[in-house]
Amino acid sequence: MALDRKLAVVDLTTGNIEIKPIPLDVRKKFLGGRGLAAYLLYKYVKPGCDPMGPENAVIFSAGPLGGTLASAGSRTDVMCKNPLTGLLGSGNMGGFFAPELRWAGFDHILVKGKADKPVYIWVHDGEVEIKDGKNVWGKTVTEAQWAVREELGDPDIKSAVCGPAAEKGVKYGNVMTGIKNANGRGGGGSVMGSKNLKMVAARGTMDIKIAHPMEALEFDKKYIEMITGAKVNQTMGTLGTPFIWGAANAWGGVRANNFQLNQLLYSDDIEPESLDEISNQTVGKYHMAACFGCQVHCRAKYRIPDRPLSQKLGMVGKYDEGPEYTSQNAFCGEPGCTKAETLLICNHLVNQYGVDNLEIGSLISWAMELYEKGILTSKDTGGIDLRFGNDEALIEMIHHICNRDTWLGDVLAEGGLAAAEKIGRDSLKYMIHVKGMNHLGSDERATPGLALNAAMASRGSDHLRSRPAIDLYHLPEQVLRRIYGSPVPYDGPLSPDQREYAGKAWMVFWQETCFMGVDCLGTCKYHTTFLGATLPNFEDWSKVLYYNTGLEMTPREMWDVAERCNLIERLFNIREGMKKDDPLKGEMLVDRYFDEPCRLGAPDVVGATLDRVKFEKMRAEFYQHKGCDEDGIPTPQTLSRLGLDTLDAEQPRL
Amino acid sequence: MIDEKSTAESLGSTRTYGQVRCMNPSCTSRITPQPGQTMAKCPKCGSEWRIFWVKAGLPRVRGPVWETSLKMANAKWDTLTDKKEEK
Ligand code: SF4
Ligand SMILES: [Zn+2]
Repeated sequence: MALDRKLAVVDLTTGNIEIKPIPLDVRKKFLGGRGLAAYLLYKYVKPGCDPMGPENAVIFSAGPLGGTLASAGSRTDVMCKNPLTGLLGSGNMGGFFAPELRWAGFDHILVKGKADKPVYIWVHDGEVEIKDGKNVWGKTVTEAQWAVREELGDPDIKSAVCGPAAEKGVKYGNVMTGIKNANGRGGGGSVMGSKNLKMVAARGTMDIKIAHPMEALEFDKKYIEMITGAKVNQTMGTLGTPFIWGAANAWGGVRANNFQLNQLLYSDDIEPESLDEISNQTVGKYHMAACFGCQVHCRAKYRIPDRPLSQKLGMVGKYDEGPEYTSQNAFCGEPGCTKAETLLICNHLVNQYGVDNLEIGSLISWAMELYEKGILTSKDTGGIDLRFGNDEALIEMIHHICNRDTWLGDVLAEGGLAAAEKIGRDSLKYMIHVKGMNHLGSDERATPGLALNAAMASRGSDHLRSRPAIDLYHLPEQVLRRIYGSPVPYDGPLSPDQREYAGKAWMVFWQETCFMGVDCLGTCKYHTTFLGATLPNFEDWSKVLYYNTGLEMTPREMWDVAERCNLIERLFNIREGMKKDDPLKGEMLVDRYFDEPCRLGAPDVVGATLDRVKFEKMRAEFYQHKGCDEDGIPTPQTLSRLGLDTLDAEQPRL
Repeated sequence: MIDEKSTAESLGSTRTYGQVRCMNPSCTSRITPQPGQTMAKCPKCGSEWRIFWVKAGLPRVRGPVWETSLKMANAKWDTLTDKKEEK
């Protein structure tokens, strides 16, 4: 059965391991993956706990479609209380770990407590062990994965690891698997490091029984045609996700020089087509790889090219994968650097250190603006000339943050809010963040719907929680109505104009529900309505879920699951101190979005700012769609409708 | 059940090929570059775009023609700042 995988609760303080089945009624309520993880986090983590302390938990989750015949059942969700924000920490990565975890008999591994020395968790064919981590601790992301395979004598082991940055207590450490699959943005790696947990290693031979195999295969034909027929996925299979950054930079939708500009001029060398050429030259024609069960192949392979800077730093020929568009944001637009070798070196470094590329790049770019304004001086930077466009300074700062070996490196390792307190003056004013998490490298001043998404994202400023990216495609209203009117009817305003405010709150709410749905299933966001309007969602999932797992759920029931799970994340954040207008932990954008106009880009983008009154109205509409009051608190009626009215009082259901 | 078309699947027929959209938000005109053409000018708003062909029939905007883009952005900026000064 595809649904017979279990939950393991591992207490690293006591060494106790409990293995629990996942009852069918729990599945029907939360499905799995990120949704069930949100429930577990809410119930297992003590309110107000120290995120770096033993009372926090880190939860590794696969979805019910992981390792099945469904397309891209590859995703691993990791959830915890985030040390960076003190709120929800949640990330999602591709690769091959989740299917392996399921073949080893588990959907969820919840780890709490703290080991008294470095350990790792070994999951194999229904068993879970805590093992001595002396051979893996201190190693880079890839070294650690090779080391555990050697130690256990099995080259097919897949691991979810933290890197050296997390071991040193950097607050935005990733969980990683493979070369570059990164569970970023959630601080899961940092929580692992705080627990002396280097990795969860998995190997399994327990087959997943497909409920209706012939129908599942037959349906796959249609499903895969939807995936591969989408123009966006054909583009991604050629250029990878850097095409996203390229497209946004074309019209002036990216952050440059922290947030002073909205376009990186003359950036031809880091455009996706140029990066593709480097992969062609250094790896060969067939340089695009994929995660488990995926037909898109969006992950480029590359070697760092032979150029003066790579030579000087001894980096020529180093192998890595990506970069994702997030690295173009972090290491090109925001710090104002336009060399491909800088991008590829930085991408390699963060993958090896296991640190969040967006956070570290944004923090360095913020520090660059502070340096430009004289708030940081060369005394603070340890003599580094931290000006925009200084490639070597950017690279040096990555090392200093991950090793915490200079004053500024150590300060930035704690995250932006803590750093702003230490740096003082009006430094916080220049940080582009929501809930204490730095914003990814896009600039939403000209796109209110996308801006709303950034403000409302449950894990802090982010695009992978509710970004209605197809708002940029100017789709005819009748097409928008078909997408956004299903599976829940909607007849309010909808506008194909990305500059409009009307109707965007519904689009963000719909997208939030869609993204939770795909994260509950354990499949990839690039396989649903995100970058393409013709990709599968609720109706298609209802079928793929039934054929693969036997679980019968209507599209509307799947929507309800996703809505419920999003509400649990919101309740978690409220419990941990989120307040609507709190500039540090709230659901609002920083003043620069409203006060500083865009300077570059397409003519209609120049001069754009967000309108504060309209933005707040849009936020109020979003709360209404979610069934919350004017402060964003779920109403008793909403809690009752979604069966969450007993959430606080009930014993954990598993 | 397998044969029923979902909303997403049926929307597949709305895809267009061989065209890009002008990326100026109020314009968004469809532009049809000639096969292999690497630069296209928007007939409506005058923006100029560099074109990359993912494959035959699938062009994409690689980026703006920098000089044109900068010139148009500066002109727009000047009108905005002039207006402010007049107030
Ligand atoms: S689309 Fe890309 S990220 Fe998603 S599963 Fe496929 S290869 Fe992995
Ligand atoms: Zn135009």
